[in-house]
Amino acid sequence: MSWLDIRREAGFVLRKKSVVIILLAALLLSVFSVWTGSVEVAQQRATIERLLEGDKIDRDEATSKHDNYGYIAYYTFHLTYAPPSPLSFAALGVRDVYPWKHRVRMLALEGQIHESDTQNPELAMAGRIDFAFVIAVFAPLLLILLLHDMRASERAAGRHDFLIVTASTRHSLWPLRAGVTIVALWSALIIPFIAGALINGVSVNLIVLIGLTVAAYLLGWALLCYWVARLVFPAPVLASFLLGGWLLTSFIVPAVGNIVIEEVYHGPQGGDILMTQREAVNDAWDLPHKTTMDAFVASHPEWQGKTQTENLFEWKWYYAFQQVGDEKALPLAQAYQQTAEERYHAAGWVSLLSPATLLQRTFTHWANTDAPAAWAYERSVRDFHAQLREFYYPLLFNSTEFDRESLVNRPTFQPEKH
Amino acid sequence: MSNSLLTIAYDEWRYWRRSSLAQTVLIIALVLASASVWVTYADVSHTAQQRTHMQDEAETTFESQPDRHPHRMVHYGHYLFRAPPPLGTLDPGIDAFTGNAIFLEGHRQNGATFADQKQSSGLTWLSKLTPAFVMQVLTPLLIIVLGFGVVTREREAGTLDFLKVQGVSPLLLIAGKGVALAGAGLLVLMPLVIGAVMALLDGAGVLPVAGFIVSYLLYLAIWCGLVLLISTLANSNSASFSGLISVWIVLCLIVPRIATNTASVLVASPGKLETDFAVLKRLRSMGDGHNASDPAFTALKNNLLAQYNVDSVEELPINFRGIVAQKSEADLTNVLNEFAEQQMQQQTDQADIARAFGWLSPVLAIQNASMKLAGTDLENYHRFLREAEDTRFDFVQSLNKLHAEGMTMQQDANKYTSLEAKKAATVSADNWQILNNFHFTPLSPQQRFSNSVAAMGQLLFAGAWVLGGLIVAGRRV
Repeated sequence: MSWLDIRREAGFVLRKKSVVIILLAALLLSVFSVWTGSVEVAQQRATIERLLEGDKIDRDEATSKHDNYGYIAYYTFHLTYAPPSPLSFAALGVRDVYPWKHRVRMLALEGQIHESDTQNPELAMAGRIDFAFVIAVFAPLLLILLLHDMRASERAAGRHDFLIVTASTRHSLWPLRAGVTIVALWSALIIPFIAGALINGVSVNLIVLIGLTVAAYLLGWALLCYWVARLVFPAPVLASFLLGGWLLTSFIVPAVGNIVIEEVYHGPQGGDILMTQREAVNDAWDLPHKTTMDAFVASHPEWQGKTQTENLFEWKWYYAFQQVGDEKALPLAQAYQQTAEERYHAAGWVSLLSPATLLQRTFTHWANTDAPAAWAYERSVRDFHAQLREFYYPLLFNSTEFDRESLVNRPTFQPEKH
Repeated sequence: MSNSLLTIAYDEWRYWRRSSLAQTVLIIALVLASASVWVTYADVSHTAQQRTHMQDEAETTFESQPDRHPHRMVHYGHYLFRAPPPLGTLDPGIDAFTGNAIFLEGHRQNGATFADQKQSSGLTWLSKLTPAFVMQVLTPLLIIVLGFGVVTREREAGTLDFLKVQGVSPLLLIAGKGVALAGAGLLVLMPLVIGAVMALLDGAGVLPVAGFIVSYLLYLAIWCGLVLLISTLANSNSASFSGLISVWIVLCLIVPRIATNTASVLVASPGKLETDFAVLKRLRSMGDGHNASDPAFTALKNNLLAQYNVDSVEELPINFRGIVAQKSEADLTNVLNEFAEQQMQQQTDQADIARAFGWLSPVLAIQNASMKLAGTDLENYHRFLREAEDTRFDFVQSLNKLHAEGMTMQQDANKYTSLEAKKAATVSADNWQILNNFHFTPLSPQQRFSNSVAAMGQLLFAGAWVLGGLIVAGRRV
């Protein structure tokens, strides 16, 4: 195999009109996905900026209106959010379904954390084109179109045997021709990504890693196409085989896997968590304060001896029953979460049968836009809410005299750095 | 004429019977279609049952609350659950992507929580095995694999000229092959039709069900036409197949997603949090309903004093605090509704951009027609939100009325001074029977049908193009 061979085959491949159209489609789609993905991520960042601003104004105002820790804790909200990672432009993931922004306050968290301020559901259902989709779903189809009739077309044109006997080595014909095609397709897909990645500030290591992953993924599909293309069948039959394989692994296996997984893993209904939490919080109004305080001290022994109340309404009692309400609903919330995790974990096994899903899971994992990233965000909200309680409890239970200065130490949410 | 038409169709079917490829794909398609109908029916019926059950439970718990201060019940709140409509068993639409429970309380419009998708395996990122998906995306592939060679095969085998010489006009040939393809399409459509009849028995409404079936028939007819058209235009089996697959990729995979991306890039839809800030900004100029001495209520106070001819709010025969609560809830709700309508409008505008792409791809057209007829589209979700808001406002105001009329202002103000005073500031639990068996129903059958007319127009448009193309191409053979 010489440079001459490569030039000849490259010239041959790239002069075919259908090949040029397919490569152009790949390039355009990749550009479109990178562009709209970048716009989407920029919108998310701008939203966070605006929210931070509005959040501060509102909190400052609510704080200045009151001079009582109980009221301030009741009326001040705190923004929590998960900023998009640099790579998320390429794998938008589930950020259109899972919430990535909340405003929480000192009240029972279970009543707040399940709110999802998400995007347009009709668009979320239709799905989007992001780079991960272009590679996982679209690229194999292009490979099938490009490679399935590699030999069959030559056979149909009557050149097949001639080409075989004139080829200088075994590798200088089919493998070379397929190789040129794959490299051309890989370039058409990856160049827009690299440009987008550089603009979005993705690390070079990650860019290289993704470039190699895409190459490996394309190579896998190309090998399958190459192998099927050897069979002596008319081109449409070969393409049907490949298309069947693509359809089976990309669509049918995940869809059936999903049905099985949902049958196997059951958890509590979301509604049950909300109702339990509400009952626990509301019943407390009619219970003797001591009942609530005993339950509270059981999980917060440090406030032992400081829980006696003199009035029918006291803030420390109010926040104690919020805490107790959360604790009552927590087992359900944990079970709900566990079901989600079990399902996602089981889906990992199914994705071994579905390369497209595996690739999508990998990309969204790297981009921090998958379900585990959403759970991590939820945990960070829970942690922050716990910090808020830790801040206010001493002020409430020690009956500290109100001092505006002390609010300087009020915790602020710190998003995870990517 | 019609005889030879049937002969041509019959001949094509005979060809498929001998082809193991044709038989395999037909069987796979039938299995998928039947399985999807069965699985989705079971799943959605179960969900419907569950949500109806939770709805009943929520109402029972509300009504069985003890004697309380009415404002406590305002914050105790109520839950609504959105049960899927009957045709949702065939096209669940956006159900999994929207929250299915909503918490109603005073002074706040909460969003719907717990979208099913949040607990999903994540495997449904491309598709869910629903009848809608099978018919919209997979069945066209079946028609392609069965039919890519209907004309090119005759051409490659040299029988096309032979047929022409025998006096079979190309248009008749195409029509005959079309009948054959349509037969396959009808076969695969059967499970969906059965499902639709079941939905009809569950009360889906004759007009939407008929529209549903007709839309899918039209949609499959478009694909049969496309397959015939490209097979007529192509000069080889291979070219026809590649061409059709490319068309399928573009229409089924690319255009719908381009539509989504375009819509979200063109129209920014601020989320609930941002809308909340806008609401807060507006509300700062209004009064706090928890605080009856807020200066914003001075005018209200003066009016009432004049009306009852007394000098102070304490002398009023009604509880001024309850009046303030009523007034401020009404004012607040006006603002909340205004912004909620704005937000829904923005979502609709976004969706409308995506829906306009239905002129380019019949897949988008059928998706919209199907969801609209089933009652699982954005508009029906908005209807749920609006009905929830009406329910919220009604029950909160009934409680505020109790607050105003069920106790004196003195009793209300002293409720935390002693246990007896607390008891005096409660109303009887008999008053909690204010909820009226909420059960979400989608838009009326007529409304759903007329909402789907635009999408059906897009389907007809695509159908007309394909038919025109076929006639032109057929004349040139």
